[in-house]
Amino acid sequence: MGSARSDSSGPARPPVAAFTAHKILIAGGFGSGKTTLVGAISEVRPLRTEETLTTASVGLDDLSGTPGKTTTTVALDFGRITISRKVVLYLFGLPGQERFSFLWSELAYGALGAVILADVRRLDECFPSVNYFESRGLPFVVAINCFDSAPRYDPEEVRTALDLDPDVPTVLCDARDVASVKHVLITLVETVAARRIATAGSRR
Amino acid sequence: MSPSGRWRPRDSGPVVRPYAVTGGRTEPADGEVLDLIAVVVTTGRAVAPDDHPPLTPEHRRILGLCRQQVTVADLAAETTLPLGVVRVLLSDLITQGVVTVVRQRPPAQRTQNDVLQEILNGLRAL
Repeated sequence: MGSARSDSSGPARPPVAAFTAHKILIAGGFGSGKTTLVGAISEVRPLRTEETLTTASVGLDDLSGTPGKTTTTVALDFGRITISRKVVLYLFGLPGQERFSFLWSELAYGALGAVILADVRRLDECFPSVNYFESRGLPFVVAINCFDSAPRYDPEEVRTALDLDPDVPTVLCDARDVASVKHVLITLVETVAARRIATAGSRR
Repeated sequence: MSPSGRWRPRDSGPVVRPYAVTGGRTEPADGEVLDLIAVVVTTGRAVAPDDHPPLTPEHRRILGLCRQQVTVADLAAETTLPLGVVRVLLSDLITQGVVTVVRQRPPAQRTQNDVLQEILNGLRAL
């Protein structure tokens, strides 16, 4: 790490990366447990963005009392898992509301994959994220958050309801439980690895 | 902050409008929008006060945090400044040559399988 700063004159040499950062997205509808999941496995901190209001939010954000207001604050859940000295995993909660979807492409850029947290009582809220990740070709898993008050469904029923491709895993999870969240993330990374092997094979 | 560093909770919000600390600028000076997990670090070059506008306390705070390689997202969380503001201030520091972006593998390129395996092993060991 020190080598990056030792050269104080002369042509700029790109510093050597001390660690590589990898991004996993946590999507799902409002109240699906994104903050809980990120907090179960990492220390979660809010990340603020001050977004310039675009036509995307016109009519949704009431600005009538504040005509000079041109930005709006969006808070993202942000967690970090140090895998090793050289590898760090970052979790970003995608803001669920449709009007923040303009943030998604920025957050999804370069992401390893995504977890969609599903609440079986409001499965329809998963559709925007399922469609989005499918269209981007980003690997994802659907984690069915087992709320105490929610009815239990077989993951295969959820797969049918969401019309998922066969290679998209559906797993039951408890977003409060670190072992359960670990299982979800491991399933995702295994899916990413399997997809890459399949893609590499088909290119040969 | 180092990858193993501790995060401190901060509950106090800002007392000024967010873009006041950038002088009202919302776009990075160099036009480059840094990725959330882009890693930056100080170059070791001294600040040249004659050539550039003076650094604000927020600039200096970010500069201090960049002594170790750090991601843009970590800088925003650590300073509690909005991401857009951090990007503008970082671009000032990059333009002045005191901070640089650590070039990583382009995201389009596939993360190597050994890194995926390392992530899997790391998650299993948590």
